[in-house]
Amino acid sequence: MKRREAFDVCVIGTGAGGGVMVRELTAAGFRVVALQRGPYLRQKDFVSDDELGTVRLFSPDQIETWRPTANSRTETGRFNYVAHCVGGTMTIWAGWNWRLRPDEFKVLSTEGPVPGASLADWPLDYDEMEPFYERAEWDFGVSGDAAANRFGPPRKRGFPNPPVPERTAARRFARGTERLGYHPFPTPMAINTQPYGERAGCLYGGACSGFGCPMGARATTLSVALPKAEGTGLLDLRPNSLAFEITLGKHGYARSVRYLDQENRREREVFARHIVVAGNAIGTPHLLQMSMSGAFPDGLGNSSGLVGRNLMFHMVVQASFVIDEPAHGFTGLETHMAIDDLHPSDPGRGFIRGGVVIEANFPQKQPLGYALISHTGYRNGAPVWGSDFKDYLRKFPRVAGAAALLEDLPMEENRIDMNPYVNDAYGLPVPRITHRQHPNDLAMAAWYEKRLLEIADAAGSQESWVPITVTEDQPMKGGSHLMGTCRMGNDPERSVVDRWCRSHDVPNLWIVDGSVFPTSAGYNPTLTILANAYRVADHFVSEAKKGAL
Amino acid sequence: MRRLPISGGLTRPFGLTRREFVGRSAVCGGSLWLLWTLPRPLALEAARQSTDRLVFSESEWELVEAITGRIIPTDEDPGAIEAGCVNFIDKALAYEEADQRDLYHVALEAIDDAAQSRFGVRFAALRAEQQDEVLAAVESGQLRDWPSTRASSQEFFQMLCTHTIIGFLADPSYGGNLGYAGWKTIGYPGPRHEFGGYTPEQMIGEEKIRTVWGSEID
Repeated sequence: MKRREAFDVCVIGTGAGGGVMVRELTAAGFRVVALQRGPYLRQKDFVSDDELGTVRLFSPDQIETWRPTANSRTETGRFNYVAHCVGGTMTIWAGWNWRLRPDEFKVLSTEGPVPGASLADWPLDYDEMEPFYERAEWDFGVSGDAAANRFGPPRKRGFPNPPVPERTAARRFARGTERLGYHPFPTPMAINTQPYGERAGCLYGGACSGFGCPMGARATTLSVALPKAEGTGLLDLRPNSLAFEITLGKHGYARSVRYLDQENRREREVFARHIVVAGNAIGTPHLLQMSMSGAFPDGLGNSSGLVGRNLMFHMVVQASFVIDEPAHGFTGLETHMAIDDLHPSDPGRGFIRGGVVIEANFPQKQPLGYALISHTGYRNGAPVWGSDFKDYLRKFPRVAGAAALLEDLPMEENRIDMNPYVNDAYGLPVPRITHRQHPNDLAMAAWYEKRLLEIADAAGSQESWVPITVTEDQPMKGGSHLMGTCRMGNDPERSVVDRWCRSHDVPNLWIVDGSVFPTSAGYNPTLTILANAYRVADHFVSEAKKGAL
Repeated sequence: MRRLPISGGLTRPFGLTRREFVGRSAVCGGSLWLLWTLPRPLALEAARQSTDRLVFSESEWELVEAITGRIIPTDEDPGAIEAGCVNFIDKALAYEEADQRDLYHVALEAIDDAAQSRFGVRFAALRAEQQDEVLAAVESGQLRDWPSTRASSQEFFQMLCTHTIIGFLADPSYGGNLGYAGWKTIGYPGPRHEFGGYTPEQMIGEEKIRTVWGSEID
């Protein structure tokens, strides 16, 4: 009989959560196999500035379905901004890099219950996360000014790299926000402002978010964590490996992962003592739901019924405006400047929670995004043809933008499940997203929309507009910040994983990605996914040393 | 245990005409996020640099060129005609947008018929204002006898605008944006990464920016 290869750990997904787990576990001497859907793209494969080229490079077989409620018709399309490749979506991320504020770990205690929302506290607090934030910032080389954000959380140590330089649009944003009494500061970014470790400093070429970084100046698991893990000789990294089932063995332990070798179109199986799922808040619950068994008819580790529920995307509100000089928005990073004055929750505004406001040149950083997307709300839906449209196009060099990234409230009916009617190219049921906005989200978005337009005015805008407004009739169908679908908590009936991101039901099953977030916070999630992965990996290693795993 | 059925090659599950022009539903952190939600295949494969006709007949080519010339008209700056948008669309229809070929053929015929019945000449021979009048009818669904049940004339017009804009502004390697006509018009210097990106001085306007075709902008 052929001897079966067995690993200490199988990690599914190599993005922010999985990539750090792979790195930390191999560093501790564990033999790890990592399965990643999609190819192993390297820096040389990344197209620079070619908007069409980059869109077709990532996730060519992505297909999803969405409906606002369980009673609505389902649409088929691509709704989420994800990259199926080694390094995961972090490969194309923008690099905004935030620690959550202490109150963002304790939303239920801070706000009290809200009708229609499933608010919860995280089973840990900022102080527990703080050292892991610091570790993530120094491993990934974050650029920033530690003293600049008076509304941010307390920190023991500064940033490893100096803050990002300015561009004209950022200067105008800073001038405008100061005029309004706010306190602008350089956005902390996981992008090298100088050579750091073995990675180069950024050239500010402009094609950033949405593109793979051709020089590794942007910190990703592909540029930071995975090369180190491969260097240990303990990592078996398998690209083009689409996991479709985690099997359950005797005694209620997960036994193996069955996956599709996408290149050879063959089914394969890999055995491991522990299984870490890090497939993002859509891929992770989808895989668990596909892993049905007699013991878990509703999906692996789903005795709570919460696998797939409480899906959150954030609310993103954005305004574009034209200034009287070249804004240089097509240079540099997605964002250079931010304010956090509007972040703290204030029920007096008519809603709870809030978020960060930034100078951000999306979706208009490159010509096609400007022409096809930013134009959407321009002059109340002006025609996309003719002389007026051409005049709009010629304003490209002078366009600037501001955006607010806002905490959306978790709702149990916002969820992922398997679509029983639509299969993907491999014959697997595609994820079905059921998602609409909580009234608090809509009130918050409307309020921030007004603030963004005020900032545009104060920055000297000649004309300003909101390209896309999220409303009750036009809810978000997807996003790039996928969170919440396997929430972490102390109560096995009210959460999927415990405070160490270990399944309440299946002792050798771990979930380490944005799925475990009980609430979404008003900042980009990646640094928290990274820090949480360091925290879980530390726990894993120390438990293993004690013989407790 | 689930049996995994393995099907053949990837299929294109949806066509541009059945969607909104751009998703009006959401925006998210990422400049390409909504572009992401457009159907994949708007990029072109082989032969995209050729200017040989692959899909359009000679008269269709002339007609599409004239229409694109009204979508992005020529003035003191180049427009869709100078940028070769018709070539981009021809190549798109030959490859990744092949599903739209039949729609284009019947829709173009209908547009020429509309020009004939209104003004007695082919679309390409009309004056600009007359062309705009015909296109406004296509855009607003006022055209009589629209031949396609698959897509309305509004949807077709939206797709045509999208294709034209992409042809105008995408990298010239895709067969449009000839001589950087689109980028010159809008003031985009082209992909600067290979040329060293931007200096902090260029990012605040204290130093000129050199375009990839060798001129300078502020």
